[in-house]
Amino acid sequence: MLNILVCVKQVPDVNLVKMDPVTGSLIRQGVPAILNPLDANALEAAVRVKEQYGGTVTCITMGPDMAEEALRECLAAGADRAVLLSDRAFANADTLATSYVIVSAAKLLGEFDMIFCGKESLDGATGQMGSQLAERFDASQISSLSIITEVDLEHMTVTGERELEKGVELAQATLPCLFTVEKTHYRPRIPNLKSWKASRTAEITRFSSKTIPGLDPEQIGDPGSPTKVPRTYPPQVGQAGQIIDEGSTDKSIEKLLALVPELI
Amino acid sequence: MPEYNKLNSEIAGKLCAVVGERRFQLGDQVKPDYSHDEMPIYGKFMPEAVCLPETTEEVAQIMRICIENKIPVTVRGTGTGLVGGCVPVHGGIVLSTEKMNKIISYDMNNMVVHIQPGVLLCDLAADALAHGLMYPPDPGEKTATVGGNVSTNAGGMRAVKYGVTRDYVLAMTVVLPSGEVMKLGKTVCKTSSGYSLLHLMVGSEGTLGIITELTLKLIPKPIKDVSLILPFKDIATAIASVPAIKLANLDPQSIEFMERDIVDSSAAFTGNAVFPTVVNGKEAGAYILVTLVGDSEAELTMKMDRLGEVAEQVGAYDVLVVWTDSLKKDVWAARSAFLTVIEAETKLLDEMDVVVPVDRIAEFLVYTHDEAVKQGVYVRSFGHAGDGNLHIYCCSNDLEEDEFKRRVKALMDKCYAKCTEFEGQVSGEHSIGHAKKEYLRQSVGDTAYSLMGAIKNVFDPDGILNPGKVCHDI
Amino acid sequence: MKHKSEYKDMWVFIQHDGTAVEPVSLELCCETRKLCDASGEELVAVIVGKLPEAELEKVLECGVDKVIFVDGTGYEYLNCDAYANLFTLLCRKYEPTAVMVGGTIFGRDFAPRFACRLPTGCTSDATELVWDPKTTDIEFIEPAVGGKMMAVITVPVMRPQVGTIRPGTFKYAPTGKKDYSVIHETVDFPVEGIRTKILDFKADEMDESLKIADAEVIICLGNGLKGADALPRYRKLAELLGGKIACTRPLFDRGVLPFKLVIGQSGVVVKPKIYIGFGISGAVNHVTGFSDADKVIVVNKDPDAAIFNYCDYGIVGDMDEVCELMIEKITAARA
Repeated sequence: MLNILVCVKQVPDVNLVKMDPVTGSLIRQGVPAILNPLDANALEAAVRVKEQYGGTVTCITMGPDMAEEALRECLAAGADRAVLLSDRAFANADTLATSYVIVSAAKLLGEFDMIFCGKESLDGATGQMGSQLAERFDASQISSLSIITEVDLEHMTVTGERELEKGVELAQATLPCLFTVEKTHYRPRIPNLKSWKASRTAEITRFSSKTIPGLDPEQIGDPGSPTKVPRTYPPQVGQAGQIIDEGSTDKSIEKLLALVPELI
Repeated sequence: MPEYNKLNSEIAGKLCAVVGERRFQLGDQVKPDYSHDEMPIYGKFMPEAVCLPETTEEVAQIMRICIENKIPVTVRGTGTGLVGGCVPVHGGIVLSTEKMNKIISYDMNNMVVHIQPGVLLCDLAADALAHGLMYPPDPGEKTATVGGNVSTNAGGMRAVKYGVTRDYVLAMTVVLPSGEVMKLGKTVCKTSSGYSLLHLMVGSEGTLGIITELTLKLIPKPIKDVSLILPFKDIATAIASVPAIKLANLDPQSIEFMERDIVDSSAAFTGNAVFPTVVNGKEAGAYILVTLVGDSEAELTMKMDRLGEVAEQVGAYDVLVVWTDSLKKDVWAARSAFLTVIEAETKLLDEMDVVVPVDRIAEFLVYTHDEAVKQGVYVRSFGHAGDGNLHIYCCSNDLEEDEFKRRVKALMDKCYAKCTEFEGQVSGEHSIGHAKKEYLRQSVGDTAYSLMGAIKNVFDPDGILNPGKVCHDI
Repeated sequence: MKHKSEYKDMWVFIQHDGTAVEPVSLELCCETRKLCDASGEELVAVIVGKLPEAELEKVLECGVDKVIFVDGTGYEYLNCDAYANLFTLLCRKYEPTAVMVGGTIFGRDFAPRFACRLPTGCTSDATELVWDPKTTDIEFIEPAVGGKMMAVITVPVMRPQVGTIRPGTFKYAPTGKKDYSVIHETVDFPVEGIRTKILDFKADEMDESLKIADAEVIICLGNGLKGADALPRYRKLAELLGGKIACTRPLFDRGVLPFKLVIGQSGVVVKPKIYIGFGISGAVNHVTGFSDADKVIVVNKDPDAAIFNYCDYGIVGDMDEVCELMIEKITAARA
């Protein structure tokens, strides 16, 4: 029986975040919070492994109360158990502090053989969480996983394909292993009514900084985050180009071809 | 038989003076796109000129020039029609509403919006949502103009709950062939005030007048919605479920059906395989896609439960819940792409847009498939199961065009006759254009057909507005 | 914990496959050289395993002050176990202020891992590096929130400051060889301690269309694209111009095009002769991906789109229509 963990994140749909043209600040209001798309692929990978080899799938996230919705989405799509790590003290965490909290809590839930996460998040997009979780779990890692080809329960190894820069690698790792999952193969399933309904009322295990025994307050949230963001600013606007407007699209394109003869 | 004149340089000069050089195309400058719509099998006809007016007054001036000189005028939006409705079969000019694309104002208290006819459906829908409102008609072709939707009385996926475009047109400004400007309708919901010229204009395909402004009714946007996919063994069992779903008192926003092969084509083409093909170990042969709306999750859950019970009784393989926004977007994008997918994978294409009683959809589809096999063409179909409106595409990739046309005509003659036998309609939302005139006559009968012709004659005695369309025989 | 002022020198990890150095490592040497010039520190190249003389020369040409040559077991192929262990040991021993790692898939795997083990802060995908004399910190500047803003990221207390940087972000502009010193280190990692094995590798050779980094002409599609069904005309234009199709991040998120075609901060950095962008809003995280293009032409229906601020020529109009007319006009002009 494989004990499988999926680490997920609820993210703002950054493609819908707009910048206030006057103040230069970000308009986050009304931007929906969604399950990080690649995490949905990671969950699907985990659930397929469970279906083929047997086991349980736990999904875990750190975030505000509303992140519960992302966990319910995971439950609907095949996770057996969901864990929310929520505490104001966890806020402003970078990947080092986040991985510390997640792994500290996960260790309370048992020993995990396989840990899945999306290759990167839509918002932060650092792609560092997988490696740092692997480090803290003392697990092997297979990043940029496109498909798991075999889990050998006897020898406790797993084999999978990775999408690398110049080709596809077939990698084998010993369990426990952490995977960062690509979009390629594991299209998230659409839940059926039964599992969707169950997910809406399922109990979600919650931990705060106080209910995770031995959690070092110096390693969580802002104090536990070595990277800081001292300032942000609106992107510099580049050199405005020449707008070609010759009255009709037709004529504008002719003008463009005259200006950029390389096109012909 | 009306006599039309050719555009000479003097008339062209006058027209050009109305809209200006930048919005006027003459002769060789006319883009070939203006010669056809999305069903080029019905022939390509180049206009002599294209005018792109921006205002009602410009349209009126164009009409005055054209009526004086007996120049045919064919109105066109974005040319997404499927029956040649916007194609200038008798030459003359095309009057394109592309530049009349302003959303003029909202009246939030009365929940209406004033627009120009060239506004795209997708733009209106998004803008209304941003105002917290919904424009209910939802035809699959989102880049059609709303003016075109009104001219064809387009229906779409949400018609089963909200009705069709006609139900949302409160008022309009129309330019008559004479160049007179007329306002029809008021921003109120009731009228018992004489013949409804407004409703005569809706669905008249640009044959009676040119719509230059529209006042449309909006509704508050639903608080919660969910879509559900019901996979079935085959199209017959899928369609058989529709009456039961309708009777379950769910007030669904849409009930769509799709056959497996179109779903497969769509997945292959878009790379978006969102509909599962194997469900609980069984191959799905057809799908029903239902959207429910409600005020709360609890209400939706109750409705979903009821749908679940019905689904089990009618033999659905499962009920899949499309709950998250990203999934909804994927599912409906796949559904909306069907026609484009068919167009992309097919060399020769013709279509039917019949409406049959809901309980006879399956029978009609089976009949069509059988007849298509006999004629050696293949069929792709999907459509609005909730209101019996079927989109049936006859396709071939290997026949010669003339041979294809001959066979499709034989097929369609039989299918439209069957449709009439079933007490159905020739077209649910794509209209008649010049492609389906004969089938319209057969379906409604000579008396009704000539009454339509007589009405056309009252509005447009010279026959210069979109000649040769709907009921106008030359 | 030691104060940051007690750490010195900036390191660059030289990733190579035994025959050639990854270009990104050279790019990082050149960029880190500038930081060292500003801070008065030494630039150190860390080379694990054997590197051909000519390749080593390329590294030295970047103005390296010191080279740490590492040999030992466990480094035959790139793996997180041996390399994370190695960098943990080396960083503890030599205490550099910064370690720069090329943002290859491997670099992004092992750098956060040894940073976590040390522990220290790790940043990724900066598009600009600035040494701040007041704090002595490196400012890792990068687009954030889908490119809607720029964020300055620092590691103000801990050392070393670890950063992974995407290939192509910085230029390979060597300033010339210097006198340099050499350190040899032997660190054996038990081969049985490597938990991942490579069973097979299939090079992508067939799909040339996915290799956009060196394309001379790029047709880039943005979120304005209606859907996959609208693609064929752009493929046709690309074919006509001998170019390749690429896209912005939202199109990948929408599932329209694969990740390998994403241009930008979290994708590929390109330097084409001609870049033609259709339906692109102009978020900086995309713009940083083509800032070295020779000629930039963009098409957007919104005259206020930010992308018009980053182009040589812009056309306001419907992207599909413009594309089709371009095909038509170019074909006609060639005939």
